[in-house]
Amino acid sequence: MLKAVSRAAGLAKTQLSKSLPALSTCSVRLQTCPPDPTCIKEAWKIENESIISMPDEQRQKNALESTITVPTKVDLTPVNGVPEEHIKTRRVRIYKPSKNAMQSGTNNIHHWEMEFDNRQRWENPLMGWTSTGDPLSNMKIQFSSPDEAIEHCEKNGWMWYIDEPKIEKSEKPKNYGLNFSWNRRTRVSTK
Amino acid sequence: MTKADYYCSVKLSRCRCCQSKFFNESIRMLRQPLTRALALKSPTRAAPLAARCQATQIQPQPDKVEVFIDDKPVYVLPGTTILQATAQAGVEIPRFCYHERLAVAGNCRMCLVEVEKSPKPAAACAMPVMKGMRVKTNSDLTRKAREGVMEFLLVNHPLDCPICDQGGECDLQDQSMAFGSDKSRFTDIHFSGKRAVEDKDVGPLIKTIMTRCIHCTRCIRFASEVAGVDDFGTTGRGTDMQVGTYVEKMFLSELSGNIIDLCPVGALTSKPYSFAARPWETRRIDSVDVLDPLGSNIVVTTRTNEVLRILPRTNEEINEEWLSDKSRFACDGLKRQRLVTPMLTDSRGNLTPVEWEDAIVAAARALRDCPPEKLLVVAGDMADAESLMALKDLANKLGSENVCTEQYFPLEGAGIDLRSSYLLNTKIANVEDADFVLLIGTNVRFEAPLLNARIRKAYVHKETDIALIGPQVDLTYDYLHVGESASIVKDLATGTSSHEVMKRLQQAKRPIVILGADQLKTPEGSALLAYTQELALKVQEKLADKEWKVLNVLQRTASQVAALDIGYKPGVGKLLQSGPKVVYLLGADNGVVSRDQLPKDAVVIYQGHHGDNGAAIADIVLPGAAYTEKRATYVNAEGRAQQTLVAVTPPGKAREDWKIIRALSEVVGERLPYDNLDEIRDRLSQVSPALVNYGNVQDNNYFAQARALAQSLQKPISGKMDVQLKQLEDYFMTDSISRASPTMAKCVQAVLKQKQSSY
Repeated sequence: MLKAVSRAAGLAKTQLSKSLPALSTCSVRLQTCPPDPTCIKEAWKIENESIISMPDEQRQKNALESTITVPTKVDLTPVNGVPEEHIKTRRVRIYKPSKNAMQSGTNNIHHWEMEFDNRQRWENPLMGWTSTGDPLSNMKIQFSSPDEAIEHCEKNGWMWYIDEPKIEKSEKPKNYGLNFSWNRRTRVSTK
Repeated sequence: MTKADYYCSVKLSRCRCCQSKFFNESIRMLRQPLTRALALKSPTRAAPLAARCQATQIQPQPDKVEVFIDDKPVYVLPGTTILQATAQAGVEIPRFCYHERLAVAGNCRMCLVEVEKSPKPAAACAMPVMKGMRVKTNSDLTRKAREGVMEFLLVNHPLDCPICDQGGECDLQDQSMAFGSDKSRFTDIHFSGKRAVEDKDVGPLIKTIMTRCIHCTRCIRFASEVAGVDDFGTTGRGTDMQVGTYVEKMFLSELSGNIIDLCPVGALTSKPYSFAARPWETRRIDSVDVLDPLGSNIVVTTRTNEVLRILPRTNEEINEEWLSDKSRFACDGLKRQRLVTPMLTDSRGNLTPVEWEDAIVAAARALRDCPPEKLLVVAGDMADAESLMALKDLANKLGSENVCTEQYFPLEGAGIDLRSSYLLNTKIANVEDADFVLLIGTNVRFEAPLLNARIRKAYVHKETDIALIGPQVDLTYDYLHVGESASIVKDLATGTSSHEVMKRLQQAKRPIVILGADQLKTPEGSALLAYTQELALKVQEKLADKEWKVLNVLQRTASQVAALDIGYKPGVGKLLQSGPKVVYLLGADNGVVSRDQLPKDAVVIYQGHHGDNGAAIADIVLPGAAYTEKRATYVNAEGRAQQTLVAVTPPGKAREDWKIIRALSEVVGERLPYDNLDEIRDRLSQVSPALVNYGNVQDNNYFAQARALAQSLQKPISGKMDVQLKQLEDYFMTDSISRASPTMAKCVQAVLKQKQSSY
């Protein structure tokens, strides 16, 4: 039991070494830190179970809780069951969605997307809705960066290409007064 | 990033010491006099605490002004408006009248924001920033102002969203959801009712429902600034204000469709697309336009394998966010006059539908039986690079070098060996930086409407002057007309002319010369090109800016640059006179090849998507795909390769063009070594890496070499220059797609009718 407690204390020490102020006493803290109460952090909570558990139990628990880092490239194609036709013959386009020319809002275009090449669609005679035989036709996935999209595609074995939008503008101040300037062509005649 | 995320990130990026509300306020109380005291001495020291905390992220810049958008510092150029500054900070301010490519109007008031220490909210679109200005884009006052503006707008806006074509992509809908009130105080329905305005008729493209108009004046500003047709305006005041043309007349512009996009409500909608679909039931496929040589970026909207409409897609280097009317509205031509099945002529000379096997075997037999020197391949306006490549490879394998395009270009001198002699070397985006433009034998307005819009932009905003040699046409801006004779170019190039244009060219820091490719098809074409090269290079050599390119040749069609890159010979001239046995037309519809020029027993194979001039003279018809139906490469007039994407599948038995040629090669017995798109693109990159460098454009050089090779061609020239497209009615129907489009036909009719009118 004693061994377990000392082990847990050691564990706690290594974990907490990053947030040193939490272990220090109040008087020390006030001298070193700016006088901001929000800066004061509470001490780490240590679970009772982790104190009383044996070292190898603890190791097992840590292993289960942490994430697994796989060093090599992952290829999901052998296990994900996607028909080979939809891996080999499809091309993924990675792009930034374009702004709808009819609207001025841009909140929905600040991300990257991937989509597959377009295949045949037809009007279903039953309801007049659109049908397609392409299982990937609605698979539009959003990413925050093209790199994530590329990683996702490579994991799934899809061929991809990037369509980079040409939307960088030079920053040029606009001026209301130009409408009324007497010697420039920006002067407006009608309104 | 959603708005909520954004605010979170702002909060988190603040340093710990500011997080206490109490502390923050006390600092702010202290700070204000301090800021003022230090403002003149050192901007960095005067920067408030919030800014100092972020000093690692945003460095203060000496020539920029620091402003605070929701307490987040941004550095902007002096004179920037609040709205632009907030855009830099990633905060979008609602707007109706403001548009970043139009002049500031400041009349909708939707962009009102609170500015600290300002007695009333400021219109963000018109108010320039001041040093240390603190803008609150989400404060109570701001929100109240927006709600008030929304309420006033909605008082006179009809509640007809269910039958409005703008529904689902309407700025007024969006912004009333986001910023409007949840209840209405409008009770005046019994007294005078809502405002009602008579609809206007501005032509066959734009439908107007003027009751919906909120008077943002975007259409007025577009018409007068970008389109250069100053027809729109307002009449009346207050409730009686109306936007219109005063006397009823058509909006005679080749860029008119853009006011549909600009209109933030449903007052201006697309007539051909009216009541066709809702935005949420359509699919949007990004693609590239091929109806003019610029390769504007487009979004093709489809539903159930049908192209419903075409919208522009922003590309700052080509079309900004505009689109010309032909590119936008000719899409209904994609559904008419289509070749949907292979055809062969029967014993009576009529084309009859057959299976692919029969057509391919017939075509293969004709090709195999033809002596190589008697085979002629002609590529048309809208042929893509892949099919051009495959067809040239096939012809070469059969032993023929007779592959040519419809459009002519002189082969003397450097000819097409140097890319710089047939491209728009300045590049479209750089045209707006030019300070003098010399147009030679081109009506840019109709040959490349968006290039003309760029020139007009330079004319309006940069005081650029323009001179024109060639027939006098309406370019929507004032220009100096030098004359119509080609000899003027010679005089300018040889320095014998003392015309004002010469002085202007020499004084200019960034001059450009644009030569219309149509002028080169005359016998004097090579001399004209040689003199233009001479003139451009003479001017270019003296420029301080060594990167600036002066010489531009404006091609007329979307396929020409790719064809020349691949190695097609421009023009059919001599090859046609030698009496070909088999003529393979790849979408060649311009009537360059006609039956009476060919021997009686000649076999004409036509591969293309429309039943136009080419199919009319054909013995064998192989139905291909239009630009919305294939993933294909097109190279625009600048030499920029771009690819179209498949929006819909080709109708009937039509197939992608390069696949037809690949199949044909198998039957002919000269198998082409590519089986899929990637392999044929590898082949393209073997020919020229520029053909597969999508979206990018290379700088061209070797101007001096081209000039040296052209020295011997500088012969006297005397001809008068003429352009094919002079008036607006000439513009609408120029290729097989637009000739098949009923909308374009209506446009021609409407323009001719308008010309009869006394207004």
